[in-house]
Amino acid sequence: MDPAIVELLDHYEGPFSSVLRENAIAAKETGLPICQDTGFLEFFVFQGNEVALEEPIIETLNSAVKKVYNDKPYRYSIVSDPLKRVNTRDNTPVVCHLFPVRGDRLEIRFLVKGGGSENLSRLFMLNPTATVDDLVRTVVESLKESAARGCPPLKVGIGIGGSSDKAMVLAKLALTRSFDERHHDKDYAALEERILGEINDLKIGYQGLGTGITAYSVHIETYPSHIAIMPVGLATDCYIARKGRVILED
Amino acid sequence: MKIEELRAGDELLYSGELLLMRDAAQKRLKMLLEEGEELPVSLDGAIIFYAGPAKPTKDSFGAIGPTTSNRMDAFLEMLYLKGVLATVGKGKRGQQAVSLCKEYGRAYFLAPSGAAAALAGRISSMTVVAFDDLGTEAIFRVRVKDFPLYVAIDYLGNDVFIKNRG
Repeated sequence: MDPAIVELLDHYEGPFSSVLRENAIAAKETGLPICQDTGFLEFFVFQGNEVALEEPIIETLNSAVKKVYNDKPYRYSIVSDPLKRVNTRDNTPVVCHLFPVRGDRLEIRFLVKGGGSENLSRLFMLNPTATVDDLVRTVVESLKESAARGCPPLKVGIGIGGSSDKAMVLAKLALTRSFDERHHDKDYAALEERILGEINDLKIGYQGLGTGITAYSVHIETYPSHIAIMPVGLATDCYIARKGRVILED
Repeated sequence: MKIEELRAGDELLYSGELLLMRDAAQKRLKMLLEEGEELPVSLDGAIIFYAGPAKPTKDSFGAIGPTTSNRMDAFLEMLYLKGVLATVGKGKRGQQAVSLCKEYGRAYFLAPSGAAAALAGRISSMTVVAFDDLGTEAIFRVRVKDFPLYVAIDYLGNDVFIKNRG
């Protein structure tokens, strides 16, 4: 677990606090996962135009996930078809987003995303005249209703702008940032802090039982948009907020 | 377990049997009932744990923990009509579930979420009883010892989540 999560957990004194602390140690000692929902893998691949690969990146990622989930005592949580729902028994396929960039570098970010927090995801098509207050209210009201179902404290990603689908991808991409990684624009950095404050004022707490913080951090990503729209994507990650980042360069 | 002695907000350590089933298994049970078929397992007196375990190891039955109960509110009355005593999961449920707990005098417990390695140590047996083809979503019977539970909705319909009901 992220050391920041362990440290916060050490200070949590509400329901189930001792078993949650025991779990962090047990997972380390036994090799069992911290949560039985070992998630679906969502990758964000930034591939430089000078980078040539031997096979499509998604095939490499699928092979890697298949190997890890076969070797480790994880859970196979993927079904092959959303309606027919037959378990693939290797936790693939992964979800992969490609971002073409310049250069000779390949950066891969990923989330190990549980289903419980995923169900808190929302897309809001706000009016283009919406104010910052409208945006904050929309996000906070949504989490007021849903956060207790997503294993809080949550990490919150917000994608603003682009198209409807772009806003959702940006919200997910935002979750790949570190807790202390604020938006580079000071206005958005301040907005992240403001929304975090309002979410924590909800006092939903660990396990949704009212004690301790409700969210660790809020991360915003933005993109230019159309004159008639203001898409706002909302994504959350659960209290173990599993993520990774790999950079390959010459 | 005496449901009538437990109140919302109580913490307890449960030792005994739990029947694991989640979304896919409950959907299938409902279809069987609609077709007039027998259920593959008796639910009378059962405590249902909304969970799907991870893979076992040589030393463990595998990481285990609760999934979001709210998704399965639509199946709760079916379970109660078949004699289920209580359910165990994570997160707040809808008003429908709260009303059903009161109407049938049954309880809803939370188990700690994100504590799967620790909870694995409290499992002493695990067997598949139905729907093996569903993988982790099959119905399992497990025996647990000192399994931590928290009463979220008691048999009177008191709900610990009431204050953040949106």
